[in-house]
Amino acid sequence: MCSCWVVLAFCCLGQLCADQNLKPQIAAPQLATNNPTLTTVALEKPFCMFDSSLSPKKSYVIYLYAMKESASAISSLVTDNSSKPLNSTFQQTSGGQLGPYKAALFNVPNCASPPKLADVGDVNKVSDVLKQYLFRVGDDGTCLYDPNFLAVCNPPLAPDTTYRFKYVLVESTEGIMKAQTLWSDPIKTRRVKLPLKIDTWPGRRSGGMIVITSIQSVLVFLLLAGLLASVSSAVMGSEDSSAETRRMSQTIQQSDPRPQLSSE
Amino acid sequence: MAKSNNGVRILQGLLVFGNVVIGMCGIALTAECIFFVSDPHGLYPLLEATENDDIYAAAWIGIFVGFALFALSILGIIGVIKSSRTLLLVYIILMLITYAFEMASCITAATHRDFLTPNLFLKQMLERYEKSETENNNDKWMTEGVTKTWNKLMLQNQCCGVRGPSDWQEYTSAFRITHNDADFPWPRNCCVLDAQGSPVNLDGCKLGVPGYYNSNGCYDAISGPMNTHAWGVAWFGFAILCWTFCVLLGTMFYWSRIEY
Repeated sequence: MCSCWVVLAFCCLGQLCADQNLKPQIAAPQLATNNPTLTTVALEKPFCMFDSSLSPKKSYVIYLYAMKESASAISSLVTDNSSKPLNSTFQQTSGGQLGPYKAALFNVPNCASPPKLADVGDVNKVSDVLKQYLFRVGDDGTCLYDPNFLAVCNPPLAPDTTYRFKYVLVESTEGIMKAQTLWSDPIKTRRVKLPLKIDTWPGRRSGGMIVITSIQSVLVFLLLAGLLASVSSAVMGSEDSSAETRRMSQTIQQSDPRPQLSSE
Repeated sequence: MAKSNNGVRILQGLLVFGNVVIGMCGIALTAECIFFVSDPHGLYPLLEATENDDIYAAAWIGIFVGFALFALSILGIIGVIKSSRTLLLVYIILMLITYAFEMASCITAATHRDFLTPNLFLKQMLERYEKSETENNNDKWMTEGVTKTWNKLMLQNQCCGVRGPSDWQEYTSAFRITHNDADFPWPRNCCVLDAQGSPVNLDGCKLGVPGYYNSNGCYDAISGPMNTHAWGVAWFGFAILCWTFCVLLGTMFYWSRIEY
């Protein structure tokens, strides 16, 4: 009885501190089936995660920070001493190896009317639904090499690496962090295999091929045997008939000389 | 005497009938093999690039064997009706040579069909599709053939990869060297395209949203026609050979009984 009340109390406490316990989630797998890929990760935007910290008169912006999991030993701070969020870039942190870098900046998603995922089937609405629902980290392949690019650069991630992400709510006028989520669970990008390693050996022979080969071999042997038999029987037959005619001519010759002698 | 005369007539009749059937089957074999060699599905470049195109060699042999069977069957009919020893001997020898060639064709088609596994096409697709640096003219020819064939396959059959689009994600490839993963997780033809040939929704295709990319593999579209080709040449040839075996044995027996 007493333990039930304790659990309930903890639950209530958990709800109050909801935004502190929430983490960025990977986008719904039924929607984004190709996720995470070799160099990108699609994350769900933070719906209803910061609502308790929003006040109606001020404007807010959400920053997304990414870092490699190995960087958490070096530094995982996203703000400086005066609660202002860091402006670290991908290049400065060597792709998230030395600490978190700012990957994106967008408006607070609408908690009251979230996008309906079923609308994805409609060709006209799908762009909007995808844009409102998720954000693809690593989407921009050209901003690293473009010297004129001034916005937040979101270059492709490294393959076969574990990353962690965090959303930070920032008030736009003062530029101070108001709330942040926890670091997400580790998300690993794909690793690839070499096509050289693909084994193209067909395995065992199929039954059809064995049947055809074996039966044909036997038939060819029988044909050759038949040819030999018929040729030899034809040759022996002609020998027999020639032997017979020789015998017949011999008997005729033998019977012939006697009348000659008697006539003389 | 009358009984043996009847027996001879029956044997002659059977041999003529057998030769008529061989003649018709020969024409059918020629026609079938010409159809296969003409490659209606356009899959020959894939086989040429794997250097495993012997089922086409079997079909080529089939064309000539079929025609030879037709010509020899006419010779056989004349030889049987005239009861000429020379004609029938020539018929038997030439028929045995044709038999040997047809046997080679059947066995080649059946054996080489076994080599056409999904892994073979997968490896070739990954190594050759959109390969940018070709070493020599032969390599360039094969690469262009493979690229064009796969583009056509993916477009016409609404499929992607050999087993599925995940082939492009699981393995590195020549395509991956020139097209980065963020923009091209798989080739553009794997996306559902509109009438103008551009993707209906590019982001949907890149993310793998169902309905905006082709999620099934192309292996069925490849193996179906190839199986028909190989089994058509192998088993039809086998059937003709079994029939020809009986007719040849009968002819040899008839020949050995002809009196000069």
